[in-house]
Amino acid sequence: MAERWDRARVLALAPDASSQRAAQSLTSGRAWAASGASPGAGTGEGTGAGLAALWGECRGSASAPYLTVIDLSGPAYRCSCPSRKFPCKHALALLLLWADGTVAEAAGEPPGWAASWLTARAVKAGAVTTGAVTTGRAAAGERDAPGAPKDQKTAARRAEQREARVASGLTELDRWLCDQVRQGLAASQQAGYRHWDDIAARMIDAQAAGLAERLRGLASVPHSGPGWEGRLLGEYSLLRLLAVAYRGQAGLPGPLRETVRSRIGFSLRQADVLAGGEPVRDHWQVLGRRDVDQDRVRARRTWLRGRTTGRPALVLSFAPAGAGLDDSLTPGTGIDAALVFYPGAVPLRAIVQARHGAVAGSPPDGDSVTGFLAGYAAALAEDPWLDTWPAVLEVTPARSPGPAVCDAAGDAVPLHPEAGPCWTLLALSGGHPVTLAGEWTPRGLWPLTAWDEDGRAVPL
Amino acid sequence: MSEPKASEITPSGVALIGWQELVTASLIGTERAAVPAGPIPGSPGREGAPADPAALVLDRAALLTAARRGGRRPERAEPLAVAEPDTVPAVRRAARLRLARMLGGEHPDLLAEWLAAVAARGRRVPAQSLPALLHQARRGSPADSELRRLVAAAGGPRARWLAELNPEWAFVLSYAPAGEDTWRLGDTARRRGYLSALRARDPDAARELVAASWNAAGPDERVMFLRAIARGLSLADEALLDGALDDRHTWVRKAAADLLAALPGSALAQRMATRAADCLRLSRDSRLLVSPPGGCDAAMRRDGITPVPGSGAAQPTARDHLLLEVIARTPLRTWTDRFGMTPAEILGVPAGSWSPTLLAGWSRAAVSQEDQAWMAALVGWILAGGLPGVASGAEALHQLVRRVDPRPDLLGPDADLLLMTLPAVREAMDVLRFRYQMLKELDDDGAG
Repeated sequence: MAERWDRARVLALAPDASSQRAAQSLTSGRAWAASGASPGAGTGEGTGAGLAALWGECRGSASAPYLTVIDLSGPAYRCSCPSRKFPCKHALALLLLWADGTVAEAAGEPPGWAASWLTARAVKAGAVTTGAVTTGRAAAGERDAPGAPKDQKTAARRAEQREARVASGLTELDRWLCDQVRQGLAASQQAGYRHWDDIAARMIDAQAAGLAERLRGLASVPHSGPGWEGRLLGEYSLLRLLAVAYRGQAGLPGPLRETVRSRIGFSLRQADVLAGGEPVRDHWQVLGRRDVDQDRVRARRTWLRGRTTGRPALVLSFAPAGAGLDDSLTPGTGIDAALVFYPGAVPLRAIVQARHGAVAGSPPDGDSVTGFLAGYAAALAEDPWLDTWPAVLEVTPARSPGPAVCDAAGDAVPLHPEAGPCWTLLALSGGHPVTLAGEWTPRGLWPLTAWDEDGRAVPL
Repeated sequence: MSEPKASEITPSGVALIGWQELVTASLIGTERAAVPAGPIPGSPGREGAPADPAALVLDRAALLTAARRGGRRPERAEPLAVAEPDTVPAVRRAARLRLARMLGGEHPDLLAEWLAAVAARGRRVPAQSLPALLHQARRGSPADSELRRLVAAAGGPRARWLAELNPEWAFVLSYAPAGEDTWRLGDTARRRGYLSALRARDPDAARELVAASWNAAGPDERVMFLRAIARGLSLADEALLDGALDDRHTWVRKAAADLLAALPGSALAQRMATRAADCLRLSRDSRLLVSPPGGCDAAMRRDGITPVPGSGAAQPTARDHLLLEVIARTPLRTWTDRFGMTPAEILGVPAGSWSPTLLAGWSRAAVSQEDQAWMAALVGWILAGGLPGVASGAEALHQLVRRVDPRPDLLGPDADLLLMTLPAVREAMDVLRFRYQMLKELDDDGAG
């Protein structure tokens, strides 16, 4: 049998909070007419029994029960319910029951409806590659260099080809950007996602995946409310700045050149980063994290801060949609660890090279708003593309004129308009100052973690 | 958010190209709009500038975007009122985790019991859980105000502070300590809140208030009064309830009769006991002889018994139903006194095909009279397989395990292993276990 998962891992698969609730309410024994698990150790001989799998019949509103089957190796799900959520609440509930140890291991074969789907998957399994993961990594700028080159010459030729491809892609992007401004941005409010997806696909072809990711993200800007024209112009202008900077990269200082190249999509292998960078050992406080769904992958951004060095760090982890994300850095905890930073004008992204143990998590020291803004400005002066930056503030939430947080001096920064009403933050504060960690963006602060009066971290 | 105005003035007084002018030009398009002229500090001179006006707009926009992001000034915000301090300590870790599980969808129907237990132990809900809790309470029906009252009570001043900010949670304010004005001038929700809070604080004062307001109140409000005083019921309430038995409106009569039946010492309960005595006798060979009531007379109707509508009294379902109604309202002491047996022994007496009806009646009586000995005996009996075909006991079990004092020995060695495979039984045991742990960790919380 596949190793049993714990509840947290199952719940992490839920597409949203309401799915989590719905699934948990289905875990009472009454909902499930029959369920079973197959160990997956055997050879299977053409049946689904070769896969570690779960199946069950869940009574729903329809007269016939919903038939749910899960291939644990994927994980992959199949359910006869009409839900468009993925995984649906039935699949999640079945996983929860399994996590609780209430799904009996079946002695025989799975029932026919489950076996047929599992068999089809088992047959395909040989042919299927981990496409989603590869694309995801590429989108996130982490694709490993294609294979180990046979010799130095081949490697050099490949690198040269890539530079040429990126250069021509950037020329095309620059032309496209100028076209947008020449024809007027007004048209883009009527343009569909295709408008940006097409140019993003061109950037993928040109092996500039970092640009593709940024371009795809722009499709939502024309619908982001008043001021969208300015935001779109700002993003276009910074993209052109990247193209210009790449052309003139020979004249750039080394770290800034790394920043430009990594934002375009030239990625370093983790091994090279670890080999090339100086480890920074500190007691790192885990400030908070934010999960974002990208194209077919989920990305987790975990923000850290060194207690001694005061350095901010960003640890990224990725998982294909539907799989659990790395859970090892829990907001509010501390870790004695050595981090190695990716090179750049403002080294921020880091890899945990070595863990030396947990340290007591305590609330970090909160900054004032002016102090924080000055710090961000200094970082931006080094890297003009820096659009996420960790903030730790000692502030009181406010609601007027808009959702904001305000420090003791009366200085305020707005909250991100898409962060919602932040009731948890308000409840925690009660009108008193709290220590708040968040992710600063050009649109405002995205609250991530606050500390209660006993110094406990509360995820927001 | 502050968008800079069309043109900005440097400290030296020179007008610069405004960001807004650039945005306007790019919105219209450089095919039709001119590139705004004017110096931007730090921009390359004429010789470095691109010839394409679109590229020029983008370059200037890049410079200003970075400058605007980096040069962002703090804004002003209106501070919120400060919440009153709460001296009551919040529950600790184990209870917090349990609350999170319940808010996440596990046994949400036990939230009310948990909140009451928290308040009874002089604790409060941690502030960060209040939004989810208030949301949950709001979703319930306003007439079922118990969860709302409990959230308001266990949420303390912080819940009231939040309610001031979010109109959806305004119901909390109706449970706040309020003056007489609320009773005289408030809307139904506020009056209900005032009365429930008063009943919790001073049951006698609440009853006197109801009695004084009774004649002026309409039928809906009278039902609300009766629901509000259902908590902390005592024989002192009997006179008021007895009067309501002759009310003109069915729902008022029904509500009053239900409350009186839950008071084993009431005259109504005694009348029920007399009726029930004719229904159930113990034979010499220790069997229960059952003879259900022959019909539903006016006195029975006055005491809250409703015959099955539309069916003749002679039909077996109707007689079954009348028996159930009578047993459910009869003081449980009637049986232990008359037969000289414990509840468990009585349950062990064979009653033939009447068993399911008797079980349902006793279960309802045990729940409404809050008789722990009977509830425990009933749960133990059902779990030990006392009732052939648990299906008819499932509903009773569902109610009982939510009200019985949860003790580990209820799940003890007597339990029939075969029954454990039944979903209704598994669910019942799950509820018992959950409630036991939930109350135990709150006790530990207070002791630690």
